[in-house]
Amino acid sequence: MTSIAATAPAGIRFGRFRLAEFGALLFFTLMMGLPVVFLLLSSFNVAPPSKEAVFGFGNWSRAFSDPGTLSALWMSFLLSVTYLIPGMILSVIMAWLIARTDMPGRNLIEFLCWFAYFVPDFPLVLAWILLLDPSFGFLNSAAAALPFVQAPLFNPYSFWGIVWVHLATGGVWFKVMLLTPIFRRVGATLEEAARVAGANNLTVLWRISLPVILPAVLAVAALSFIRGLESFNTELLLGTPVGIYVYATRIYDYTRYEPSAYGEATALGSVFLVVLAILAFFYQRRLKGKKFTVVTGQGYSTLRVKLGRWRYAALGGCLAYFAVMMALPLSFLLLGSVMRRYGFFNLRSPFSLVHWQNLLADPLFFLALKNSLVIAAITALASVALYSTIGYLLAGRKIRSAPLLEMLTWLPWVVPGILMSLGLLWMFLATPLRSLLYGSVWGIALALTIKESPVCTQAFKAAFLQLGAELEEAARVSGASWSYTYRRILAPLVAPVAATVGLISFGSALTSISTPVLLYSARSRPLAILLMEYSFTGEVERAAALGLLITAIVSVIMLVGRKFVLPLTGSMEKG
Amino acid sequence: MKNKGKSKKAKGKRKDTMELFLATVVFLLLPLTAASAQQKDWEKDWNQTLAAAKKEGSVVVVGSPDPVMRGDIIPKFQARYGVPVEFLAGRSSEIVARIRTERAAGIYSVDVFLSGPDTTATVLYPEKMLDPLKPLLVWPEVVEASKWKKGKPRLVDPEEKFILRPFSSVSSLLFINTDFVKPEEIRAAKDLLNPKWKGKISTEDPTTTGAGANLAARFHHQLGADFVRKLYIEQRPVSTRERRQFTDWLARGTQPICLNCREDDVRPLEKEGFKLLEVFGLTDLGPGINGSPWLMSVANRAPHPNAAKVFVNWMASREGIELYSRGYGSATLRTDVDESFLNPGNIPRAGVKYFDDTEWSWVVTGRQENREKVWKLLKEGKRP
Repeated sequence: MTSIAATAPAGIRFGRFRLAEFGALLFFTLMMGLPVVFLLLSSFNVAPPSKEAVFGFGNWSRAFSDPGTLSALWMSFLLSVTYLIPGMILSVIMAWLIARTDMPGRNLIEFLCWFAYFVPDFPLVLAWILLLDPSFGFLNSAAAALPFVQAPLFNPYSFWGIVWVHLATGGVWFKVMLLTPIFRRVGATLEEAARVAGANNLTVLWRISLPVILPAVLAVAALSFIRGLESFNTELLLGTPVGIYVYATRIYDYTRYEPSAYGEATALGSVFLVVLAILAFFYQRRLKGKKFTVVTGQGYSTLRVKLGRWRYAALGGCLAYFAVMMALPLSFLLLGSVMRRYGFFNLRSPFSLVHWQNLLADPLFFLALKNSLVIAAITALASVALYSTIGYLLAGRKIRSAPLLEMLTWLPWVVPGILMSLGLLWMFLATPLRSLLYGSVWGIALALTIKESPVCTQAFKAAFLQLGAELEEAARVSGASWSYTYRRILAPLVAPVAATVGLISFGSALTSISTPVLLYSARSRPLAILLMEYSFTGEVERAAALGLLITAIVSVIMLVGRKFVLPLTGSMEKG
Repeated sequence: MKNKGKSKKAKGKRKDTMELFLATVVFLLLPLTAASAQQKDWEKDWNQTLAAAKKEGSVVVVGSPDPVMRGDIIPKFQARYGVPVEFLAGRSSEIVARIRTERAAGIYSVDVFLSGPDTTATVLYPEKMLDPLKPLLVWPEVVEASKWKKGKPRLVDPEEKFILRPFSSVSSLLFINTDFVKPEEIRAAKDLLNPKWKGKISTEDPTTTGAGANLAARFHHQLGADFVRKLYIEQRPVSTRERRQFTDWLARGTQPICLNCREDDVRPLEKEGFKLLEVFGLTDLGPGINGSPWLMSVANRAPHPNAAKVFVNWMASREGIELYSRGYGSATLRTDVDESFLNPGNIPRAGVKYFDDTEWSWVVTGRQENREKVWKLLKEGKRP
């Protein structure tokens, strides 16, 4: 494995990297390790709340002796794997088409993926219900008009209904967002060599492009699998009516018991740690001794694969997928925000702007909007700064604690959101910085920065793994300092990934609910909490309006980023 | 001389009469003067509290997500007293976890709780997070016996000083869509077991805490385990955690019998012309009342004690209570709140025996015990 760190002079490397390694370890141990240790310890406390701690295995045995636990775990596994496989295949193809081919409109398709990712899930799932419900679903009603259709064709309240909705809501967009910048870094040299040797486009994708981005593909698959196991919102809406319960639902149930049962929830959550350890083992084993450098000092070329007559078919396929999976429910979501009651077209005058008016008239709205923008901006900047460093250190593989550091960066996703939030709350209150962090936009931004650690770290790590060591060597031979090299050589090369990470962090900070829910105060209330309040009280239309507004904000930021930031780094693609 | 003596006597008599008259006047005016002095004292005390509240800068209120709080209470209270309301909303379990962790770190950030009976009775009160509320209630219109249907503000904790219950409304037992179910088809609870309604009943998921499990616990308590088994297993009710979902099912008629729909969710649909009927009681299951939307208490070591005092008095006053009564359609325990806008069925009637779902011992023990039994039953029955 070629390493970036390995090329630095020993003395400098040791001081700088050891310091960075120590800093990173300290930060992650404090911010991620300690909350998890606190949660695990608390899970063994069997004393009633506010009484002196008594330690035992009561919470664990209660959580795991429930006969539903194992079947829920199995259901989560099945669902997660079922939509992971087609999701990965589609994402790899779509990212390759966007980044490596001459498909027309590829920038548009990339933009649509980004847009789709930030459309809020909750009203979107409701839109799918309106489309697919066996009794009143729009598509079933339309199909019933056909002479050969005797029974409803679609049913969202089923295993396959859940798989379908997952593929539509987050199953593909998120992966395309992460894979596209990685594919962009795959130089054309290897592909051209393969083509000269007689390989066709599919063989090039399968035998050349895909293997060199294997770390990214595996990381994205692992991230998606873990996210799949943790998912429960869609399952709550579509699974509960037909008795499909998933593992994350059981954890969620424990967290909302009165009195709450966070001990049992943590015990169940620990299964994710085991899954993570297994995934990490196979990930390391698969990558061991392999080299993934694609950007070297010699003849880097970004020539695109020519699809010939297939280029329009490819575009048509992407547009068709977007139209069915996103535009169709999105049109219902848009309608929902301007309907007096979402999905009830048979009312006397079904359309109204009252929910938008109520949203803008909400006394809490503008303060929440301001808070959200501040929080999202801090989170985006902090994520890029922090995780580019961590990704660089991990890609170098010369730091001693790489496995530990990598494990720590995964923790925020293996601990269920509300538990992580509780752990962070405890951590914030235990530090001397609590007056700065607790209840402030800074504390929420820090928590959100931590929460997105796995995706940000893996994105940067995969990007740095693609950069050849000679880039740094050449710079150093020319007399450039390390920081100059980083700023002028490495940073521009990973800029597309940095932009992706920044935007994902920005968007997630706007939409995340479980992370800030225990950390906000009335003065730092973000929009996502307002969205939660609307959903909780059944104000679906206003929630849809707010969700669309959040999506619009992210889209504007994204367009501005593409227009002004990426060209500065020389990474803008000409569509 | 005699005349002189007579006149002297008459003068003395007049003097006596005058003295008696004056004494009577003084005697009669004395309480009024005292009351006036008391009034002055109260006003002085209140003005001092108000000034201190303004100095404290805000009052921190914790509760469930609440459109009435967002839209009415926060702007009205601030406009009236110049004290901003900082409202922290969340699920009770999240709020409680947060407050416990805060307190363990020595932070006391909350002034007032507007919480449900479970959280109040099983967490806030037993974990000693509260200060007595009774001495803080000082407004004449809040403490005056004539202003309350029970002759005094109803403090529901065992010590009768920590937790105020200002609402007592007849709760709906179920809703039916009369386009699909005739009212005479559901006269008794046992009518719900008619095979005709198999798969046609919706409920909030009874397998976890919440309104679904609470109603199942009440059925278990009043109608027995066999009824619960038949209703929740054999009748295959469709369950969800999303309240909007079962309200929509009710309106569309996919599940025309709804066990846990909420009055404030259904009301807009009734206005749209949907034929939805709220059923309060059945022949074999009497009507119930509850204290929804909240019980009020004051946190101990509150950071803004004066602002909290102003807030709880205003909240327990006619104005505060009426805002919630209108927002949630709940009947109140005050005598001076206009209830003409309420569904008459929600107002408890004299002489009717109601099952009180917010009654302390039911919340603390009865409901929990019955809920556990229901869960065991549902697990044994392998509810699909």
